[in-house]
Amino acid sequence: MSSARYWCSGIALTLGTVVAPPQGVAQQIAADSAPPSLAARVDELDQQIRVLQRLRELAADSAAAAASDRASATANARDGFSLRSADGKYALRLRGYAQTDARFVPGDGAGAFTNSFFLRRARPILEATVGRYFDFRLMPDFGQGQTVLFDAYWEGKFDPAFTVRAGKFKSPISLERLRSATDVTFAERGFPSNLAPNRDIGLRIAGDVSGGVLSYEAGVFDGAADLGNLDADLSDSKDLVARLFVQPFGRGTLQGSGFGVAGSTGNEQGSATATGLPGYRTPSQQMFFRYRTGTTSGTTVLAAGRRSRLYPQAFLALGSLGVLGEYAISRQDVTLAGTTVRLEHHAWQASGSYFLTGEKAGFRSPAPRKPFDLKAGTFGALELAARYGEIDIDGDAFPLFADPAGSARGARGAGLGINWYLNQAMKLLVNYEHTTFGGGAARGDRKPEDFVVTRFQHSF
Amino acid sequence: MRTRLVKPGTLALMALAAGAEAGAAQASAKPVTLLNVSYDPTRELYEDFDHQFAAYWKEKTGQTVTVRQSHGGSGKQARSVIDGLQADVVTLALAYDIDQIAEKSGLLPAAWQRRLPDNSAPYTSTMVLLVRKGNPRGIRDWGDLAKPGVSVITPNPKTSGGARWNYLAAWAWALRQPGGNDASARAFVTRLYQNVPVLDAGARGATTTFVERGIGDVLIAWENEALLAIKELGPGRFEVVTPSVSILAEPPVAVVDKVAAKHGTQAVAQAYLEYLYSEAGQEIAAKHFYRPRLPAVATKYASQFPRISLVTVDEVFGGWEKANAAHFADGALFDQIYQPGR
Repeated sequence: MSSARYWCSGIALTLGTVVAPPQGVAQQIAADSAPPSLAARVDELDQQIRVLQRLRELAADSAAAAASDRASATANARDGFSLRSADGKYALRLRGYAQTDARFVPGDGAGAFTNSFFLRRARPILEATVGRYFDFRLMPDFGQGQTVLFDAYWEGKFDPAFTVRAGKFKSPISLERLRSATDVTFAERGFPSNLAPNRDIGLRIAGDVSGGVLSYEAGVFDGAADLGNLDADLSDSKDLVARLFVQPFGRGTLQGSGFGVAGSTGNEQGSATATGLPGYRTPSQQMFFRYRTGTTSGTTVLAAGRRSRLYPQAFLALGSLGVLGEYAISRQDVTLAGTTVRLEHHAWQASGSYFLTGEKAGFRSPAPRKPFDLKAGTFGALELAARYGEIDIDGDAFPLFADPAGSARGARGAGLGINWYLNQAMKLLVNYEHTTFGGGAARGDRKPEDFVVTRFQHSF
Repeated sequence: MRTRLVKPGTLALMALAAGAEAGAAQASAKPVTLLNVSYDPTRELYEDFDHQFAAYWKEKTGQTVTVRQSHGGSGKQARSVIDGLQADVVTLALAYDIDQIAEKSGLLPAAWQRRLPDNSAPYTSTMVLLVRKGNPRGIRDWGDLAKPGVSVITPNPKTSGGARWNYLAAWAWALRQPGGNDASARAFVTRLYQNVPVLDAGARGATTTFVERGIGDVLIAWENEALLAIKELGPGRFEVVTPSVSILAEPPVAVVDKVAAKHGTQAVAQAYLEYLYSEAGQEIAAKHFYRPRLPAVATKYASQFPRISLVTVDEVFGGWEKANAAHFADGALFDQIYQPGR
C-alpha cells in the first residue's frame, strides 16, 4: 500500500506540475483545499484499479478451477471414446474390437475343415459409470454370423476390497478365460479353457485386499456347462464359484506375477433337449469329444447330478517374458439309460511369450514402445510365443457315454506363434498348432491336426 | 494319456500358504500417509504440527507417517470431501461443515463431535479487525465498518467458514447495541457488506487482497491470521483492532471414519487428532496464535491474546443448524443483503 501511495503521490505531483494554474488562482484553489481532495481522489482511483485487478485475478482463478472441473471427452486406442462428467461420477465409454482370421488345416483330406476367412469376433462394448459407485457393461458379439450376448452386467464398486456384480459375465474360474480375447497370446485359448464355462449368469462379490496382494471372487451362478455361454438355466440348483489369487511381488521385478486357485460346485440335470453337457474342441475349434446323443432321453447322455471344477493357476511376468500355467479338473455326473457315473476330465497347459522389442510382459497386452510409423522407421512390438497342453477325457466315458463317431480320449497340442502389435489398436498374429489325439475311436486314433491361423485384430 | 503335473490339492494349499505369508509381510510397519483436509489459514499451523507429530509417531510406533495437507475455504473443502476427496481427517473452520460431511456422505457418524474433548475443537480463535498502520480511518469497533467510504475486506460466507464467523460476529455486535434487534442487525450488516468491494473464496485469499494487493481499509480476520500477518510483515505496516465484542470460534477436527478404514489409517488418524490436545500440540497451536484449551499452555501464552467479550453461536443464534438456515442457505439473509459490485 505504501509503495502504491508513493507512486500515486508521484502522479499527483506530476499532474500538479503539468496543469499548474497561475499563482493567484492556485492560492484560491489551495484555499478551497484542492490538494487534499486531489490526493483523496487519486487514492480512490488507485483503490478502484486495485479492486478491478483483484477481481480479474479472482475471475482468472475461478476460470482455471472451472476448466479443470469441466466435463471431458476423450478418445484413445486403449479406452476408446469416452465422455466424463466434471466430477468423474458419470461416464460413458464406447469401445470395441474385431478379429478377422484366415484359418487353414492343411491335409485334412476329406475336407472336414473348410479353409476360410473367418470373422471370429466382432464386439462393440458399451460401458457406463452412473453415480459414484455403479458401473454397467454391455457386450454383444456379432462374429461367426451370429448375434450372441456375452456381457451384460451391473457392478457396484463400493470399495477396492468389496465390489458386487450381477448379470451375465465371465465365470471366475479359468485364468486364461479371464484374460480378454484381445490379450490372449494365441488365437484360441488352450485345453484348460475347455473345462470351464465361458459366460454365466449370476451374482458375484470380489475385491482386492492388502493393496491388491490378495484378490478374491465368490459368487452364485445359474451354472453353465464347460465352454458354455448360458442364457437360461436348466434346473433349480445353482453353482457356487470361488477364486483366490495372490500377487505378492508388489512393484518389483515380478510385478504382475501371481498364483491362485479357483473352483466351482453345483448340480445339473439335463434333458433330451438340453443335455447340460459340453463338447470339447481342438485349437481349430473342431469338436474332438462329444457325448452320445439320440432321439430320446433314453438314448442321450444327460447331466445328472454333481458338477465340480478345480483350477490351480499361475501367471509369471519377468521382464519381457510372460508365462501362463493352468491345471483344470472337471467332474460331472452323467447318466444314460439308467447308468450313472461320475466322470473326471483333466487338462493343463503352459504358455510362454517373449517380447523381442523389449516391452514388459503382463496379463494385459502392453503398449508398443515404438508404435508403427514408416516415417520414424519404427514398426511396433514383436512377440514370440510357444505353448504345450494336454486334455484327458475320463476313460469311463468310453465306450458308453462318448459319441463313438468322433470322440478321442485325449489330445496333446503344441503351438508356436508370432504376434505383431503395430500399436495399441492393431495386432497381427500367426499361429501354428499341432495336435495329436489318442484313444476313443473304434477305428483307431484320430488323425493329427495341423492348424494355421492368421489374425488381424483391431480394437478401439 | 492322463497327465498330472502335481496333485491339485497340494497346489492349492501351496498357493494359499504362500499368499498369506506374502500378505502378512507387506502389512507390517508399512509407511502410512494421511490426508488432512483443512481450512484456509491453518497452513503454517499444520506444517509445523505434522512435522512434530511424524517424529512423535515414529518414536512411539516405529512407523513412518507422512501427512499431506489440503487447504481452502472451509465450506468448499467440506464439499470436496463429500464429492470424494479422500480425507483421513478433516480440520475445518466450523462444526457445520463437518456436520454436512456426516449428513451428506455418511463417511463419519452424526455424533462425531462427542468423540473428542471440548466438542472436538482442540483450540479456539475469534475474529478481529486488521487495519493499516496508524489506523487512518479511525476504526475502533464493528460500527465503524458500516460507515460510508470505509472499504472492508472479508471473504465469502458461502464458501468460507471464517467469513461466516465474521458475519455472525458483526450481527451479534449489532444485536448488543441499544435497541438492537434482528431488523437493526440486518440493516447494519447490509451496510457493512455494501462496503465490501471483493469477496474472496477463503480467509487466506482475503488476507492476500488486503495485505499484498493493498485493497481496503480493514480486514475482518481470524485472530490467528491477523497476528500472523503482524508477525510476518512487522508491526510497522498493520495494527490489530480488538472489537468490543466478538465470537468464540471453535474450529473442530474429526477422523473421516470410512476413508480412514479404507486406507487402514484409523489408529494413526485418531492419534493425530489426539496429539492436538497434548501439551506439545497445544504449544504448537499457541505459537501459531490459536487459543489453546489446556490451562497451563493458555496461561503461558495469555499475554499474546487480548481480552475480548466473546459470544457463542449457540447462545446468540441457537446453533449452527439454525444460523445456517437463517443466514447462509441459498436464498437466506446473506443472499438477500449482499449485492455484488455494490
